Amino acid sequence: MIRLLTRFVAWAVLAYLVVPLVVIIGCSLTKTSYLVFPPKGLTFDWYLAMLQDRSYGNAFATSTALAAVATVAAMLVAVPAALALARYRFTGRNMLVAFFMSPLVLPNVVLGAAIMQCAARFGAVRSLGALLAGHVVIVMPLILSSVLPLLTPEQRTLEEASMDLGAGPLTTFRLVVLPQIAGGLAGGAVLAFISSWINVELSIYSTTAELTTIPVKLFNYVQYTVDPTIAAVSAVTIFVAVLSIVVLDLLVGINVLAERHDPNNH
Amino acid sequence: MSREQRALVGLLSASVLVLIAFFVIPMAVVATASFGSARGQFTLAQYAKILLDQYHWEVLGTTFRIAALTTVGCLLLGFPLAYYLVRIVSWRPWRRACVILLLIPLFTSNVVRSFGWMVLLGRNGVINDGLQAAGLIERPIRWLGTETGILIGLVYILLPFVVLSVGNALAAVDERLEQASADLGANPYATLRHVTLPLCMPGVIGGAVMVFTLAVSAYVTPALLSGGRVTVFSMLIFQQYSSVFDFNYGGALSITLLAVTLALVALANRLGPKEAAF
Repeated sequence: MIRLLTRFVAWAVLAYLVVPLVVIIGCSLTKTSYLVFPPKGLTFDWYLAMLQDRSYGNAFATSTALAAVATVAAMLVAVPAALALARYRFTGRNMLVAFFMSPLVLPNVVLGAAIMQCAARFGAVRSLGALLAGHVVIVMPLILSSVLPLLTPEQRTLEEASMDLGAGPLTTFRLVVLPQIAGGLAGGAVLAFISSWINVELSIYSTTAELTTIPVKLFNYVQYTVDPTIAAVSAVTIFVAVLSIVVLDLLVGINVLAERHDPNNH
Repeated sequence: MSREQRALVGLLSASVLVLIAFFVIPMAVVATASFGSARGQFTLAQYAKILLDQYHWEVLGTTFRIAALTTVGCLLLGFPLAYYLVRIVSWRPWRRACVILLLIPLFTSNVVRSFGWMVLLGRNGVINDGLQAAGLIERPIRWLGTETGILIGLVYILLPFVVLSVGNALAAVDERLEQASADLGANPYATLRHVTLPLCMPGVIGGAVMVFTLAVSAYVTPALLSGGRVTVFSMLIFQQYSSVFDFNYGGALSITLLAVTLALVALANRLGPKEAAF
């Protein structure tokens, strides 16, 4: 009885998770010039309209470049930090970990405001630099937490073997450590990329009419007016979400909610 | 400095510098501004303005009420789904499909997800049409611009976090304990209440605190679904920084929100172990 009830609730909740996204995709295909679901007729005109409006292309390009650069930058600083945290025991280590993870719980509305106010003092307000600074800060913990669990004592053994055999630290990192953490790092990078790509609350303080990311551009439209073109752009972002989940699955396997009895899942 | 210490400093310096430059210093600037007047003198006037003004208490009340109800809603909907995914589904491809369905919203912008609800909850939206066709209501219900509308949207946005947090905790619970409980004569409800639920409590608390924290500071979803009729705390902050340009007052509002968030996180760390979303 309880199992049957749980089953029905779970199905309803799964439907609840999918419906708004299906509605957006549906609205983007309508022949009417206003939003309607289910769509009346079927057309890809709104996707064409999106492609013809260069400002959408620019916003997509800005979002993608920003997310890519922020992710790479975060990897360059967070991977060494993860190595240090995994290798050495020192006073204040736990506090340092908490410090590195703290941007995760920081309200983005506050961090965005802080970066804007700070950037104003350096004449960099609403610039690519200000955008990038915030995005690096919020994605760093994601990279760190994807790499840190992989730097286990067993992994360390191979690293020491490499050093004992005469390889320098950099060679050891490239040939031994990097292949060991590559999977987790790639997974963390996908997460970091998408978190940056969909961010609004941080970006909104650093964008202008010309320099804008796709979610911020959508936000500014949706607040005042909605039409099927906006639905088409939104639908594209949903397709990107699906694509990145597929990539994540291929890279590391979606291993959330791992089954306890499966030794391959952990 | 020993070789080891040099290595440690070398590995950590870049990340620490990035966080100091783009996180600590900006936050310090905000904190400093919050204690300043327009003329740059030290004052507590900004905080007094927040604490003594009834309007702020009302906004805080609304924000907390929405966040608390969001948390309850997420737990009520998220627990059954987590239980279903971890304990009931046995066909792997379907389980995988469910997890993907759970992750897609998480990988989609709040704007797009809230936009979906704007279409669904509109005056002539799918939900009102459906309810009218079913004869349950005579006239369309106004959802947008109400706390209920914001609540529906926020529960939707934050639900995956609870499912992941509770699901991971549930996966770690030894199923044999539940079987033992059943063997000893407990009905499924008693087993759930006295065995399963207490054992996955850390995941429940972790998920709840995460949802509450994110709901208190959410901006995009309330902004889109409130239609300007409901004000939550983050909107006050955004207003000060984007249109009023009162950085002193905005700073005090920011620090207030930050203090509330940190207090919640500290409370969460006391109640249960840290839960990662992944």
